Amino acid sequence: MNNDEHDHKHCLEMFDRLSEYLDNELDEVTCKDIEKHVKECVPCFVCLQTLKRTVDLCKQTESRPVPKDFSKKLKKIIQNMPKTPPAG
Amino acid sequence: MTVPKRAIRKQIKDKDFELIRAINSGRFDRFPDLVKRYEQKLYNFSLRMCRDGADAEDTVQETFLNVFRYLKAFRYETKFKNWLYRVAASTCIKKRRKSKFAPERELSLDEFYPKDEAEGPNQVPNWALMPLDKLLNDELLDKINQAIFSLPEKYRLVIVLRDIEGFSTAETAQILNLSAANVKVRLHRARLFLRDKLKGYFENE
Repeated sequence: MNNDEHDHKHCLEMFDRLSEYLDNELDEVTCKDIEKHVKECVPCFVCLQTLKRTVDLCKQTESRPVPKDFSKKLKKIIQNMPKTPPAG
Repeated sequence: MTVPKRAIRKQIKDKDFELIRAINSGRFDRFPDLVKRYEQKLYNFSLRMCRDGADAEDTVQETFLNVFRYLKAFRYETKFKNWLYRVAASTCIKKRRKSKFAPERELSLDEFYPKDEAEGPNQVPNWALMPLDKLLNDELLDKINQAIFSLPEKYRLVIVLRDIEGFSTAETAQILNLSAANVKVRLHRARLFLRDKLKGYFENE
């Protein structure tokens, strides 16, 4: 399959499901269908790889430590709370 | 005849239940343990949602006050962390509504469809192939954070919960009170949006 055929309906159907594929949320038949398709279609293979890399990079974002002043402030607020929460 | 819900409920195992039961039985002195356990997670979640340090601090504070207020209503039917994030997400959403932001933009799948000319590479770009540790640097991390910040809130909530906080589709659906199908749609669009931003970054490098 070449790039000129890339707006093919099948490609777009694949495209819609790539996240579910990466998350292992598809049934076996659909997975096999996608795997077969990306083996033959370079643009879809690139889509899948770059989407996968995007998810990988997202997972690498670091978490910041809580500012010390804020942590102290929070502690104080919690200590000063009424000892009985309102009936929920 | 209706089967009582309690009879069909699964037993949930959760490391937080012991602490929550203690607080709910009157051990309010243990509430700070709960704060300590989750303050960093909630701070980072709020930071990603509010985009601003001071707003994130307000949101965390408000979230813990809401948790304190409503903890008695926790029914041990889900993991406590899921319930906590439900409170946090709703606190973030309310905070946003109070401020005067422009209406949210919808992301449509059409805008991300590969175009024949614009996108039809014959080979996988380098950034998708390089080992992650070789690729990652402060500038790229900053770029990803900026891209996440630029997502409309409803998509940002989903991608932060799914891909950063690590909740499952079902858990995210429960936290945000959405259907699983809706979570999947929003997640896919959010990821495609970020992919476009990263693609632009690497192309202009």
